[in-house]
Amino acid sequence: MTPRLRTAVLRALAVTTLAASSLALLGATIARAETAGPVTDEVGVLKVPKGQPILIGGLMVLTGPDGALGLDASRGAQIAFDDHKNMLVGHAIKYAAEDGGCSVEGGQTGATRLAANKQIVGVIGPACSSEARGGAPILWNVGMTMADTSATAPALTAADRPAGLQGFVRFIYNDLNAAAAAVKYAQSLKVTKVATLHDGSLYAQQIAEAFATQWKAAGGTIVAAEAISPSDTDMRPVLTRIGTSHPEMLFAPIFTSASAYLTRQKPEVADMAKVRLLGTDAVLSPAFLEAAGDAAKGYQLTGIDNDPKFMGAGYPQFLTKYKAKFGEAPIAGYHANGYDAATALMLAVEKVAKTDAQGDTYIGRKAVRDALMATKDLDGLSGKLTCDKYGDCGSSHFAVFEYVSGDPSSYNVGVNPKKMYP
Amino acid sequence: MLRLQDWIRRASWVDWFLLALRLVVIGVVGSGFVAGLLHPRYAQAEWLSFIAFGLTLGAIYALIALGYTMVYGILRMVNFAHGDVFMAGAYAACFSLLGCNRAGLLASHPLVSIGLALIGSVAAGAGIAVLGERIAYRPFRRSRSLAPLISTLGLSFVLEYSARGMFGAQNKSFPSIPLIDGNVVLMGFSMPRTQIVVVLAAVLTMVVLTLVVMRTRIGTAMRAVAEDQDAAILMGINVDRVIVFTFALGGLLAGIAGLLYGLVYKQVYFFMGFFLGVKGFGAAVLGGIGNIPGAMLGGFALGLVESLGPALFLDGLGVDSPYQLRDGIAYTMLVMVLIFRPRGLLGERLSTVRA
Repeated sequence: MTPRLRTAVLRALAVTTLAASSLALLGATIARAETAGPVTDEVGVLKVPKGQPILIGGLMVLTGPDGALGLDASRGAQIAFDDHKNMLVGHAIKYAAEDGGCSVEGGQTGATRLAANKQIVGVIGPACSSEARGGAPILWNVGMTMADTSATAPALTAADRPAGLQGFVRFIYNDLNAAAAAVKYAQSLKVTKVATLHDGSLYAQQIAEAFATQWKAAGGTIVAAEAISPSDTDMRPVLTRIGTSHPEMLFAPIFTSASAYLTRQKPEVADMAKVRLLGTDAVLSPAFLEAAGDAAKGYQLTGIDNDPKFMGAGYPQFLTKYKAKFGEAPIAGYHANGYDAATALMLAVEKVAKTDAQGDTYIGRKAVRDALMATKDLDGLSGKLTCDKYGDCGSSHFAVFEYVSGDPSSYNVGVNPKKMYP
Repeated sequence: MLRLQDWIRRASWVDWFLLALRLVVIGVVGSGFVAGLLHPRYAQAEWLSFIAFGLTLGAIYALIALGYTMVYGILRMVNFAHGDVFMAGAYAACFSLLGCNRAGLLASHPLVSIGLALIGSVAAGAGIAVLGERIAYRPFRRSRSLAPLISTLGLSFVLEYSARGMFGAQNKSFPSIPLIDGNVVLMGFSMPRTQIVVVLAAVLTMVVLTLVVMRTRIGTAMRAVAEDQDAAILMGINVDRVIVFTFALGGLLAGIAGLLYGLVYKQVYFFMGFFLGVKGFGAAVLGGIGNIPGAMLGGFALGLVESLGPALFLDGLGVDSPYQLRDGIAYTMLVMVLIFRPRGLLGERLSTVRA
């Protein structure tokens, strides 16, 4: 074979391979719909053989300083399963939660582990927006829907969200509403100059930006918009920098560890000692008291208003079950959202699952997502829940709380922290 | 002139690239520095505060860095578990003070409480360091492979997850000591009292360490082993004893650093040794690893750059939220120093002395 002929053959082979690969990819994209038993679904069909358990995954931070946020939601989900007699469409429920570490990388790792188990019908969580950013696309790539418990960043349900987030449906408020509540509270204090501080995480950055936008729209001034790293321990330099702008209030939607450093070091920076500090429910857990100690006293934060008139009718009984099952009162503010997310996911599965003559169950994956998105007037523990077309289903009644003691054993939402506003 | 011509004749493209990089760095840092100083945002009081914060953080980095550098000086080995020895010291100090608080001693006799916390942290630091040397390093000392390095990493994880198992994964509040809390006005500037105490304590510790290394028999033996282990053996020095002493001394300093860290930052957690260990190691490299004054200088330099750098360089360059980049600026500085002086700030001085 002459060199010219060999080049021509190699070129033809390369072009053919490329064309074949492109066609195969196109075909796979178009013909993704799958039929199994009596169900056809665009994304895929899950078959649960008769007698086998139905698997539900969990993805949320379970360890570390922010572990209480995810653990609380996971416990809420477990009580929802108990209330469903741990059975779903004729199969025993088997629940397995992965630790998302409250980070993008943790979300990716946890989601990859869950995605490897093709028998999982859907996933409860995540707890942190960063986990959602990392994990939701991986899960949706295999057709697993996420029923979110406490990831609140606006971008996750924005109209222009990436395709990978189409399987993300949240049963908690959107931070656009949380920022509005913080703005309303700041207005009630008659302050005009506010500084913001975030830690670069998706959650903190987006709620700080939402707050700044709404605060400026309401006629206020943002005198400083600063950021730290989540692992920072020395807050004094950044507080000194903020102090040069002489704010009347610092809005700092950061997590447990950084918030505790912040509140303990703020009095040592002369220009910041008397500045009001407002956080969010990212620190609504006894872990914050454990970290901050007595410095937690006076720390104010926005969070879900747990007034009985806003919560579901079953909330008092739920609290009794929580204490009986886990031996302590709720450890954070997301147990009701965990319960609601699990309940809504189970109702969605019940709505779309079909069982054949042999007793095997077939569940369309996209159908589950669509049914979850179609949730309407669900009497949840966190209120009446209806999803919009982007997957926002949470109720949005907010309050401002203030810690009155640094003793972790005194943690009890409504008592410590005490509701301050409205 | 002849030397310049000779350099131009011999220089490769890498030399030219490094020269260009140095000029760019000098230009960027210089312009940022000047613009930062001219920036109207900060008054003298703020600059002094930044320096005080940097010295405090730097003092802690320096104490940790000394442990790395002493072990490296003796064994030519990086002890990656040293950050976790610091963590153990911080936990020991925290629990000692909590115990004193429960007994009412913290309120009635705060100095005694601090003394007990110091004993606890030093005992924990030195004890764990010596135990680590015996269990995880000595068996591999003659190994020519990477086994000792991997062993130190393994010990690091063992210590971290043991602490997590024993004390929980959550951050723990370090008790406040009213005696050293609050601010004090010095020459018209308000400064946290704790920071003054911590910097003075760290400097005192370093002075004592220098005296131990330079003026005692065991210190002389340490220097002899660091210089030439085989010659030291021939001179009748018990090298095993010197190595154990070096680990104990490094652990003791890490224990003191743990107590001082708790006093300033007021939180302890099981993973704290990782980040601060990396910073301490960076400080040791910056100063010239193996060189004791270098570790001290590197620690203070790193702390000052972290505290001052964002305001001094990044503010001047118009970078938003500069304190988010404090680690970035610190490590960039570390890399740049190593490009200019590959042996670290004082590394060459040591080699010159040895030569």
